[in-house]
Amino acid sequence: MDIFTNMAIGFDVALSPSALLYCLLGVTLGTFIGVLPGIGPLAAIGVLLPITFHVPPTEAIIMLAGIYYGSMYGGSTVAILLNLPGTAASAIVALDGHAMAKQGRAGPALVMTTLSSFFGGCVAIIIVSAFAPPLAGFALQFQSPEYFSLMLMGLLAAAVLVQGSFLKGIGMVLLGLLIGTVGQESISGVPRYTFGSLHLYEGLSFVVVVIGLFGLAEVINNLSLGAKRERFTSQVPWRELIPSRKDMRDSFMPTVRGTGIGSFLGVLPGAGPAISSFVAYAVEKRVAADPSRFGKGAIEGVTAPESANNAAAQTAFIPTLTLGIPGDAVMALMLGALMIHGLVPGPEIVQKNPEFFWGLIASFWIGNVLLLILNLPFIGLWIKLLSIPYRILFPAILSFIAIGIFSLHRDPFDIYLVIGAGIAGFLFIKLRCEAAPLLLGLILSPMVEVNLRRSMLLSRGDPTIFLTRPISLVFLLLIVAMLAAVIVASIRSRGAGGQKSEASQEDNAQNVP
Amino acid sequence: MKTTRIAGAIGALCLAGVLMPGLAMAQYPNREITMIVPFGAGGSTDIIGRIAAQALSKRLGVPVVVDNRGGAGGTVGTQAAAGAKPDGYTITVATTSTHVVGPLTVKTKYDPVKDFTHIGMIAETPYVMVINPQLKATNVQEVIDLARKDPGKLNYGSAGQGSTTHLAGLMFLNATKTDMEHIPYDSNAKATAALMGNEVQVLFGSMPAVLAQIQANSIKALAVGTTTRSPKLKDTPTLQEAGVKDYRASLWLGLSAPAGTPPEVVKKLADALGESIADPAVGELLEKNGADPTKMSPQEFSALIASEIDVYGAIVKGMKK
Repeated sequence: MDIFTNMAIGFDVALSPSALLYCLLGVTLGTFIGVLPGIGPLAAIGVLLPITFHVPPTEAIIMLAGIYYGSMYGGSTVAILLNLPGTAASAIVALDGHAMAKQGRAGPALVMTTLSSFFGGCVAIIIVSAFAPPLAGFALQFQSPEYFSLMLMGLLAAAVLVQGSFLKGIGMVLLGLLIGTVGQESISGVPRYTFGSLHLYEGLSFVVVVIGLFGLAEVINNLSLGAKRERFTSQVPWRELIPSRKDMRDSFMPTVRGTGIGSFLGVLPGAGPAISSFVAYAVEKRVAADPSRFGKGAIEGVTAPESANNAAAQTAFIPTLTLGIPGDAVMALMLGALMIHGLVPGPEIVQKNPEFFWGLIASFWIGNVLLLILNLPFIGLWIKLLSIPYRILFPAILSFIAIGIFSLHRDPFDIYLVIGAGIAGFLFIKLRCEAAPLLLGLILSPMVEVNLRRSMLLSRGDPTIFLTRPISLVFLLLIVAMLAAVIVASIRSRGAGGQKSEASQEDNAQNVP
Repeated sequence: MKTTRIAGAIGALCLAGVLMPGLAMAQYPNREITMIVPFGAGGSTDIIGRIAAQALSKRLGVPVVVDNRGGAGGTVGTQAAAGAKPDGYTITVATTSTHVVGPLTVKTKYDPVKDFTHIGMIAETPYVMVINPQLKATNVQEVIDLARKDPGKLNYGSAGQGSTTHLAGLMFLNATKTDMEHIPYDSNAKATAALMGNEVQVLFGSMPAVLAQIQANSIKALAVGTTTRSPKLKDTPTLQEAGVKDYRASLWLGLSAPAGTPPEVVKKLADALGESIADPAVGELLEKNGADPTKMSPQEFSALIASEIDVYGAIVKGMKK
């Protein structure tokens, strides 16, 4: 069977009225869930899962999947407008997106976000439909040593993320790595920094830390500024919503690169959308002619991570469906939903349930088109959020944060944690320390450690395991090449004297370890 | 005519209003029952818990609402259940993790025996001894021989240090006096992936996590850890049949209530649970999810928990040395 017959089967299923309805329901819900801080797709799918018992399996999964990738679209909206990211992926988009909003360019930022999400999603679907089985085999080649080398590369990306003082940036990465060690360590089973509390047994909840460090800290900071608080343009004319031709041109290649990175990382169980947006951002900053623009409203800093995270959200279905191995908690839930309906994910699902498999893939496409239609007209409406007086907006934000956080585990402890993270985030703003490198440290910390230790167990203590496995070796060589490029560039710019802006030179020079 | 009818209706309503609370007091249950599932939604414990909740609700005539309270290997939710009011309106899903392995490896505030009134078993999911197809072995004895020839060369995976799958593996090593390297992963799914990628050669995996891969021939099932064969894998022997004496390791799931729940309430719940499990439709749903429906009285279930604590306790003690 070739891809066209497959897709014909798929569209036959996905275009049936009931499938269309559930797809629309899913993506609409997903968009709103993405917009609300704290209520991520995990909580939403967890709540809706029991309802899907009474829905036919294909429609149920189409809806749940719609929530998942729909929330990826919606998540960037509040991140850009209010600097209120709910996920790691949108935290990265907020770096430059919110800077654009402050410059009165929220419209173009949101439109480009939607377009690059659409592009990333669509390309990834083509990859899924054409290469799902071979890619699944490739994902199995990734074992502990490969993951370790990949994560090490991720840590290098963290160094690139740093905007201001290099020393402070590294400090934040290290802090993130340290915070990531809280909880039960999975190799020896020893609890660390839990102080005997079961709340800390599974580590600090990532979502809670993100929302505290970014959202809550932003609210505290705005309130502390009082009358001096930055005001956005209250009236945005429709004309200014449309991105300029330059925006389009500047975004094209970053979107393509971001899509590639996201499609690749999404296939690897565990790596997923979160680190794909970090890596895409770091790559753009590396290849940019003038890296100093990043963090100050560079459009590439919005479109590359956004396309990466949407592409990854699609390709993450490959290991889940064809291997039965979920990449993250959301995918694990999705797997559970499949099992409840008696559909056993695994290598045979494509042959045994072609209507389901291809129907779902086709529904991704339809869902992405629906999201585009749904999101573009909404942008004007979302931007109106900015004209709401802050004295009304901030209590609303605080209540949404509290509700969202509480809905995660229904544990009041998380509320205390978000307050703590918010205060810490405010201090970081005051100390001019950036929170993004900390986030990456926090995500990578457990993965780096566990895969290193597991690799050492596998090799019985021989560190050459990282060099003798080809994929791992490739990553290590890439790391060396990236470090060499940084060093060479800094020596050259130092020798040549001031050709470019002062800031970019300083940046480069400081990046030398 | 009309007025008398209305008056009659009002009278009947009043009478009902007076009688209802009295009836309600006597009759358990009269409102919704909360079933704590101490794991996240969508996991295998959640799925089986929900099947039981639906079946119980049908028989008890009140909604049985699932409350997912995940965290710390199921001990957070179980802790909450231990502290709940013992009135029969809060019950919890008790598993090998929450009532045996958890209390042995995590410092829990609850006592799995003293703090609960156990109601009965729902189902048992066997651990399946699975190997990577590249391993040159076709039965359990050949794996034992390979492990004896090269002690410590083979790797076996698990869903984490001190997890039930780890202990099932240790139980095998103890019983066969062999040595394999333990490689822990953080979930059953990741351990299964590692087995498929030949990072580990042997795994004592939970049935729901490995069944699809066995059926697709990407991994090979050699034996099951239960004392009877599983209907899902009729041709696969039990480990005892394969020559491993006294081996019994499975993940069971049952229902428990806080200690002090009135005996008549427990009886009602146990009867409803027993009827549910005997229902072929429920049985089929459970089997579809890799669990074999198993009936046990409250006494049998309590005895099982106590004996498992002894068996696993010995292994955990040996592990810490």
